[in-house]
Amino acid sequence: MARRATARRARLATDQGAAHLTIVAAPEETPPERRVLDVVGERLQPAFSRYGYALVAAGFCTALFVRFWHLNAEGFNSDEAVYAGQGAAIANDPQLTPFFPVFRAHPLLFQTFLAIGYRLGGGDLMARSFSAAFGVGTILLTFAAARLLYGRRVAVIAALLIGLMPYDVVVSRQVLLDGPMTFFATLSLFLVALYATSGRRAWLYAAGAAMGLTVLSKETSVLVVGSLFVFFALSPEVKTRTRDLVYAGGLMAAVTLTYPLTLRLAGSGRSGQNYLAWQLFRRPNHEWSFYPTSVPEAMGPAVVIVALAGLWILRRKTTWRETLLLSWIIVPAVFFQLWPVKGFQYLLPTAPPVAILCARMLGLWRPKGFALRRVQLNGRFAVGALTVAVAASLAVASWQRIQPSKSGTFLAGSGGIPGGRELGGWIKGHVPRGAEFLAIGPSMANIVSFYGHRKTYGISVGPNPLRRNPAYEPIGNPDLAIRRNEVQYLVWDAFSAARTSFFSNVLLRYADRYHGRIVHTEAVKVRTKTGAVVERPLILVYEVHG
Amino acid sequence: MTRVLAFLLAAAAVVLCSAMPARASDPTPRTPIRHFITLMQENHTFDNYFGTYPGVDGIPKDTCVPLGRKPKPCFRPFHVGENAIAQRDLDHSQMTYRLQYNGGRMDGFIRALGLRNQDGRLALGYRDDRDIPYYWNLADQYVLYDRFFSSAGAGSFLNHIYWAAASPGDGYDRVPPNGFGNLKTIFDRLEAKGISWKFYVQNYEPKLNRRTINRFPGNRASQVIWVPLLNFDRYLDNPKIMRHIVNLDQYFVDLQTGHLPAVSYIAPSGPSEHPPSSLTSGQAFVRSLINALMRSRDWKDSAFLLSYDDWGGFYDHVKPPQVDAYGYGFRVPSLLVSPYARRGFVDSTTLDFTSILRFIEDNWSLRPLTQRDAKAKSIAGGFDFSRPPREAEFVSARRGVAEQARPKRNLIYLFYLGAVALPAGIMVWAAAASRRRRASEAGERA
Repeated sequence: MARRATARRARLATDQGAAHLTIVAAPEETPPERRVLDVVGERLQPAFSRYGYALVAAGFCTALFVRFWHLNAEGFNSDEAVYAGQGAAIANDPQLTPFFPVFRAHPLLFQTFLAIGYRLGGGDLMARSFSAAFGVGTILLTFAAARLLYGRRVAVIAALLIGLMPYDVVVSRQVLLDGPMTFFATLSLFLVALYATSGRRAWLYAAGAAMGLTVLSKETSVLVVGSLFVFFALSPEVKTRTRDLVYAGGLMAAVTLTYPLTLRLAGSGRSGQNYLAWQLFRRPNHEWSFYPTSVPEAMGPAVVIVALAGLWILRRKTTWRETLLLSWIIVPAVFFQLWPVKGFQYLLPTAPPVAILCARMLGLWRPKGFALRRVQLNGRFAVGALTVAVAASLAVASWQRIQPSKSGTFLAGSGGIPGGRELGGWIKGHVPRGAEFLAIGPSMANIVSFYGHRKTYGISVGPNPLRRNPAYEPIGNPDLAIRRNEVQYLVWDAFSAARTSFFSNVLLRYADRYHGRIVHTEAVKVRTKTGAVVERPLILVYEVHG
Repeated sequence: MTRVLAFLLAAAAVVLCSAMPARASDPTPRTPIRHFITLMQENHTFDNYFGTYPGVDGIPKDTCVPLGRKPKPCFRPFHVGENAIAQRDLDHSQMTYRLQYNGGRMDGFIRALGLRNQDGRLALGYRDDRDIPYYWNLADQYVLYDRFFSSAGAGSFLNHIYWAAASPGDGYDRVPPNGFGNLKTIFDRLEAKGISWKFYVQNYEPKLNRRTINRFPGNRASQVIWVPLLNFDRYLDNPKIMRHIVNLDQYFVDLQTGHLPAVSYIAPSGPSEHPPSSLTSGQAFVRSLINALMRSRDWKDSAFLLSYDDWGGFYDHVKPPQVDAYGYGFRVPSLLVSPYARRGFVDSTTLDFTSILRFIEDNWSLRPLTQRDAKAKSIAGGFDFSRPPREAEFVSARRGVAEQARPKRNLIYLFYLGAVALPAGIMVWAAAASRRRRASEAGERA
């Protein structure tokens, strides 16, 4: 038995080495068996020169910097408020528990971590730091997976790319479930790669359990099961016993069972079912072109182009490794492209494999030298320059994306909401407890509830239970509610108004009809086309009298 | 010309300002209450609104009111929903009061209405938190008086004049043909001492008063009943005084601008809860007044007293004490809302509308108007000035909101942390197995 496994590992190692032999410039200097297999105890030759390491170190410092710089400068957006509110509700925070039910839509793995943080006295910064820490963890796991698959050089580049990638930076700076989901998805990828390279089924079991954690982060990541299926189906060289797959699947199911079990034993079983039913039948919220346009831009066009180029240029060297990475990318991408409901951050788990594929090209491709005018350039220099250029393009894009927003428009999942936290502070200081608010939509309603601790409805939340998120409470007749003095304040915000001018106008009509008086304004300073700096109102609070 | 205009404008400003409440000049009150607001709604008894409220002197369990002169057959109080039974304006004249009171036997509620060709059983209908959730919530949070009697065993007019003057006026429950002459009111006292006051009237019609009442037929004329000042010629002929009577809109403006006077009287219009008008709109109206006060800067030193002018023909089981020829009448609901009000307190002090005057007089050191208010106890028992003022908190218009299911939080921690521990354990086990395997392979090679 042991002999058979040893033989299999040798075969895989030879296969891996063969791939490298034809790609890497000096294969004879690097015995293939030292490039692959277990990461534990591996010693490799230096992957970069001294200057190269300095650049890489600078890149990693930048990666950390862009994840934590001004992390708490802006208040939570709607989704962050919901997840943080759930965490606070699990921690039994008396201020937030009335507004945020524990069981709402998704599993509670990340929210449980947040709850522990809240119990220890944490606040917004703690919650976002948790998320950013998962982002840093994803960098390390990307490094580990890439090192296992292609060696240290590719691993360092891949980690650098994911570290600087705006997509990962932006999402992991927010209290969203997608950061932890990506972390666990990348952990699963790493463990599957460990299994494939070592042949030790314990790693497959571990991968199954890790996939369970991925699903517990956010249930949409159950798609990794499809990725794994595609991978094993298209990679006959990775022999796997059905029994082992069943065991791994069982472990995944055992971990995932936490979600329905807690729903059943610790709360309401209907919450999850209602949300699932709504997600299955809700109407499209974006055009079909949403992902093809927004995600490559967020990943970095250069990264996507280089990764695709690598697949073409190095196509003769394609092995199960690329199959694994591509299945990790294509299955969720195709699914969400076909799925009517789209979200900016949904495809984040595909970012690490994209980064690894890009790094594969940059780390393994060795073009011949060429002359540029009179200067003779060797291929190694050209690839190095390309690597620096790609990393720099990501760093610049990330830097731009993490700047405080001064725009009146907002894409869900792309950052914090300016003015929301400050609005909550004003509400707590100036509005009697028990007051009820009416906002244009549920996004601002969540923010007001989180920071202002006041019940807030969204006009755009429809009364038809088939057409609305079951987590939101509709206001049947806003007009009557104001007249009966059940709603005393209206909140208009530029972000919601940009999305739905119809409901914005409805709210402003109520403000006009019921003697609305602006009692608070949140504004940002913007520079006009003429160069003048003016204050642009983002959020207006009207006091109304029925 | 410009100078003349400027002078005229300045003079007008001085005149206007003198008529406006001068908050800074108000004498310092004896209690922290610097603003007192009293609202008089219409036609309900205590048992009709709070007869089943826990902890009060409510409807006795064995209550059964005779249908006629004999004790049997009798009829029991019943819950009546907002729309379950057609609402009626039950007769609430002095005669009906006497018949219902029946020499103190308190058993003529059904028969008296029957004599008016009304279904007397309607008098036994009561409300509870399903019908008046806001008022029950107010009672939970603030002070409910369960021995607050109407001042006169009569209808609106006499009780309103008691509310302002601690007197029955000319003793008739109707608009006096010749006005009230020199009868002193609380507003005379306030005016004499330079204490700011206003009478806010919903849908105020300035041309409608005692002299013009015949030009305004129908319910509109009730303004003259609910605003007793409109029956005094000396007020009607005094523009300075009349400027104190303003439309209710001004109440909200005054709260917003910080010009709420020391004493405010409020008279409703449509949402007065006078049967058969909607209780829901009445509560919304009261809520709008209290909420506006709560979100103003004046909340911290204010008190709002809600009461009802008469019993409206409805049943109440408590025999009212007879302090003089006019009253007391049957109990009426009364609630005190203030940052200094005791929380969820039921005050059983015997009170009537003149107790409101007594509080104003005590608070601003004014002389009593008559023997009635001189002998009346104050509503002050509802306050607790030893505690700091409570923060404003809007009281919900919904009652009995089902508490959210309390999730078992320990189970959530247990399951999710366990879910993390399982893969972690498997990974540790896999790493250890891998290490052992490698060690054994190294041993084999060696």
